[in-house]
Amino acid sequence: MKRRSLLQMIALGTAGAKIFGGAAPAFAQDGRSVTIAWPSDVPSWDPNQRFQPDAQPLFKSVFDQPIEQDAELNFVPSLFTEWELADDGLSLSFSIRDDVVFHDGTPMTMEDIRFTFYERVASGENLDIANTWRNLEDIEILSPTSGVFVFNAPTPTAPQWLAFMGSFVVPKAYMEEVGVEGFRERPIGTGPYKIVEYQMNSRIVFERHEEYWGEMPAIQRVTVNIVRDPSARVAAVQSGQAHLTINVPVREVERLGAMPQLEGEINPITRVILLQLRHDMAFDDQNVRLAVHHAINKQALSQAFYGGAAVPLSVVAPPGTPGYVEGFEFPYDLDRARELLAASGFSPDNPVRFTMATTNGHFPSDYDIARALVQMWGEVGIEVTLDVIEYARYFELNRGNQLPEATLYSWDNATGDPEIFTGYLLNPQMPFSAWKAEQPGDRVLELFAEPDYETRIAGYQQVNRDATEMGATMPLLQSVQTLVRDGGLNYRRYGNGWVLPASMSWS
Amino acid sequence: MTATIAKLVMRRFLVAIPTLLFVSILLFVVLRILPVDPAAMSVPPNATLAEIERMREQMGLHLPIPQQYLIWLGDLLRGDFGTSTHFRTGVAGLVATTLPATIELAVMGMILGGGLGLCGGLLIFYFRDTRTEAALDVGTIAVLSLPDFLWALFLMLVFGVVWQILPFTGRLSPDLDRPVVTGFLLLDTLITGQPKTFVNALYHMILPAMALGISAAPPIIRVLRSSLLDTYQEDFIHQARLRGLSERRILLRHGLKNAILPTLSLMGVQFGFLFGGTLLVEIIFSYPGMGNLMVDAIRNTDLPIIQTVGLTYCVMVLLVSITVDSLYLILNPKLRAR
Amino acid sequence: MMRLPPWARSGRVILGLSLVLIVVLCALFAPWLAPNDPNRQDLLGTLMPPAWAPGGSASWPLGTDSLGRCILSRLIYGARVALTVAVIASTGAMVLGALLAYAAGYLGGWVDWLIGRIVDIWLSFPPVILALILMVGLGSGIQNVILAIILVDWTRFCRVLRAEVMVVSQRDYVAAARLLGFSHMRTVIREVAPATFPLLITLLALEMGIAVVVEAILSFVGMSVGSDTPAWGQMIADARQTVYQAPWNVIFPVGAIFVVVFAFNILGDGLRRTLDARLTQTERS
Repeated sequence: MKRRSLLQMIALGTAGAKIFGGAAPAFAQDGRSVTIAWPSDVPSWDPNQRFQPDAQPLFKSVFDQPIEQDAELNFVPSLFTEWELADDGLSLSFSIRDDVVFHDGTPMTMEDIRFTFYERVASGENLDIANTWRNLEDIEILSPTSGVFVFNAPTPTAPQWLAFMGSFVVPKAYMEEVGVEGFRERPIGTGPYKIVEYQMNSRIVFERHEEYWGEMPAIQRVTVNIVRDPSARVAAVQSGQAHLTINVPVREVERLGAMPQLEGEINPITRVILLQLRHDMAFDDQNVRLAVHHAINKQALSQAFYGGAAVPLSVVAPPGTPGYVEGFEFPYDLDRARELLAASGFSPDNPVRFTMATTNGHFPSDYDIARALVQMWGEVGIEVTLDVIEYARYFELNRGNQLPEATLYSWDNATGDPEIFTGYLLNPQMPFSAWKAEQPGDRVLELFAEPDYETRIAGYQQVNRDATEMGATMPLLQSVQTLVRDGGLNYRRYGNGWVLPASMSWS
Repeated sequence: MTATIAKLVMRRFLVAIPTLLFVSILLFVVLRILPVDPAAMSVPPNATLAEIERMREQMGLHLPIPQQYLIWLGDLLRGDFGTSTHFRTGVAGLVATTLPATIELAVMGMILGGGLGLCGGLLIFYFRDTRTEAALDVGTIAVLSLPDFLWALFLMLVFGVVWQILPFTGRLSPDLDRPVVTGFLLLDTLITGQPKTFVNALYHMILPAMALGISAAPPIIRVLRSSLLDTYQEDFIHQARLRGLSERRILLRHGLKNAILPTLSLMGVQFGFLFGGTLLVEIIFSYPGMGNLMVDAIRNTDLPIIQTVGLTYCVMVLLVSITVDSLYLILNPKLRAR
Repeated sequence: MMRLPPWARSGRVILGLSLVLIVVLCALFAPWLAPNDPNRQDLLGTLMPPAWAPGGSASWPLGTDSLGRCILSRLIYGARVALTVAVIASTGAMVLGALLAYAAGYLGGWVDWLIGRIVDIWLSFPPVILALILMVGLGSGIQNVILAIILVDWTRFCRVLRAEVMVVSQRDYVAAARLLGFSHMRTVIREVAPATFPLLITLLALEMGIAVVVEAILSFVGMSVGSDTPAWGQMIADARQTVYQAPWNVIFPVGAIFVVVFAFNILGDGLRRTLDARLTQTERS
């Protein structure tokens, strides 16, 4: 008797769960709303404060950038209607739209532009854009819709940066009224969506900004669930709790894509996976560096971890970006690697030893790639110790000159400009570069001051090639973005991996 | 009599203060062993060395460690929990938004664990001295041998993915608005009168709470069973039988009443462990509580958050143990008489 | 007639010991038992299913992981890390906890008070949180995992043992030993300690199970042993990324952990029953 009633209870409980539809598709798709499972939250809602590539699409929903990139990564007008970099690279004149309003209804003016890029930086706030615009001397306001950025050193990539990380216009009056802390709690921008609900690390709800100046988004309400765990993101799209997600394991994309209602994509983006190297210690010897590079089977890495979709790279620039060097290839060649090692007196009995640092979980399959590399090097008698570090410690270690010979690294550059690839990764004065030797550092520094676009690009192509040939860098793969979506949901595919809610629609 | 209890409870509180003080010293010292420079972590990547030096002084890192500790403690007492080096925002706010979620989850887990434990204990006791008892007992040990985070993975696979009857990410379905009054979601939905949201939140909590509850239950089962066995050795059970009371009545009125005290005090201990268990379970279910904040902070070596969250977990454990001790005092007639 | 002691006749002890023995044998003879080198990768043969499943191969009886490594071999080698951590960490925690418990229970007075307060402070940390924070401070690595477990779990021994030592210390033969002029040290070693051995052994068996779990947890959040050491916790962490594609990759190491922890738990339970060790609250956690 007793036992029977217990069983009945269990049966009832299960039935109850079904009736209330606990997990059944979160809600019927009504054509006006979308739910997204996103891997990470914004660092804070102050868009100028911290750079984080994955947060870019979230920021872009709420805020606008002076210059926009289209799906093919061309630079197109946004808040700026036109801009022009001076020949000497020392100033940038621009005009702005006059029909833009913030979410609170106040119009955007030149004051807001000056506030965002100049006043906030000059006030000494702890902002990441302060470093982007450290050469900015002033923004002169010429008329209510035009002005000039004045630099104290040539800044040829100013237009690229106006479309890149951290360059989002914030409202001066509102921010001064509520303070920075107040702004982070109730942020407003000029972007296509307003934030109606925000729960840190959990959920963001956007609602369409009805007075948006640009193309009106088709989706009225967007819910972004922050789901850190890749397998939970997979489960969320599979069960219909989310309509779109990114950065799930490649194999899962293939499996989910085969399901009738889902669409799986593996898209190459403007992100490179490479080894950042030191020029000293065990890597003092160029033969060793080149042998290490020749022993890497990039095609196998791509096959094993990215379903073959990640393009093997020989220079630090993905195909299709200006810095890419057509026809140049650094081959996978074990014999060549052994020869180079022998030339420097190394052999399997007297192996080269070095340490490689890697992150675990900073980008998809990072730890797997690192472990696969260690095995590949073992083939030619190079013994490598693996050291797992947190991504946040890279800069600190680099500053203290404590990085090991090699570090597995991923670098995102939505603009595609070579300065933000090679320029940053090999500039000895920047915290990203582990390579501190004069070459190719000096040439990179020269290119930073080169105002002529064609000369600059040609210069970077040459540096890219030389850097690989001298073993100053080891590009591995062009990274891919995995994406799984409901088959009925359309979105615009950007070459840099942006997935923008404003570009979505139901078919 | 009530005054005595109040006095004893007060005493427990007073004893907790030095304990917390030492906990905070321990936390501070352990995290200072770490070869990490918090100043370098809290500036933008391309800050200059001079900027880092300035930050170091601003953060008081050039001072000797005991002095740093005293400054931190002083700030803490004034309600200033420091600034996160990664989020660059106040730690107090971060903890305040995540703590209610964790408390809610732990309480639900404990309720489920307690319920399972009581039912299981009674069940095993009911089958005492039979073969079924031995089987159930070995079963209990088996359940005990799978830690909570593996239960979490298992439940998520079975109920969330394969059967798809329960949700397993976050606290609420995406289409529902979240009321914010106290931060406790279940409470808030009730206050604002949203039964649908309440039920939905409850469903989201079932799997994580189950994972916690299942692994908290076995010790409760075993203690209840053994206390019941002890109680049944007592004379009054025998006398009750002689008086012709039904077995059911004896169990409820006499057996359970006496056996519940040791069980209760064990549940206090279990609750403390369960609080620690929320950390991994939260990660598996993407549940926005302190555990997720903590793991994030560890990933970013964000010392102010790690310190504060660590301390908060301890405060919670101490509060639970004080509450359980107080309940114990109130319920135990023998102690009360003393 | 020879009679086995009661503990050796307990079904639970026998079950527990046999399971432990099997795992110990796996660990000791791993190089002979494992069909493949556990670290040998095959990037062209990743996530192979077990041999009996369609597409499986007899070369990899339980299939391969995301780097194409043999799961069975890794499981067998993983027993080494699990047992190393279990044995060293538990023994360390026992030694530290027992020493303090003897001191507290036998000497009493301010020593007892002081140790009691330290235990209180430790108990106010959830063990997982304390272990994590210690690992943040110490850095990853198997020796630090062991150290963290010792530093977290000594209280489990100290708490229970202290009460037992207090009871034993009151007994007549201990008083007699003191009257005979034995030193404190000798009294504790010769008279008090042997009386607490049953309890100590029982606690040790249970602690070994806990240590295995803690190691798995620390791997799971990425503070594991090095990448060249196969460990079950690490295997779960890896396999979690591909749980839908290759659920068996999660299931096997979870099963291994379960078997070992169950073996230690059932052994401890059998010992508790047959050695008449006084145990209530410490059965778990």
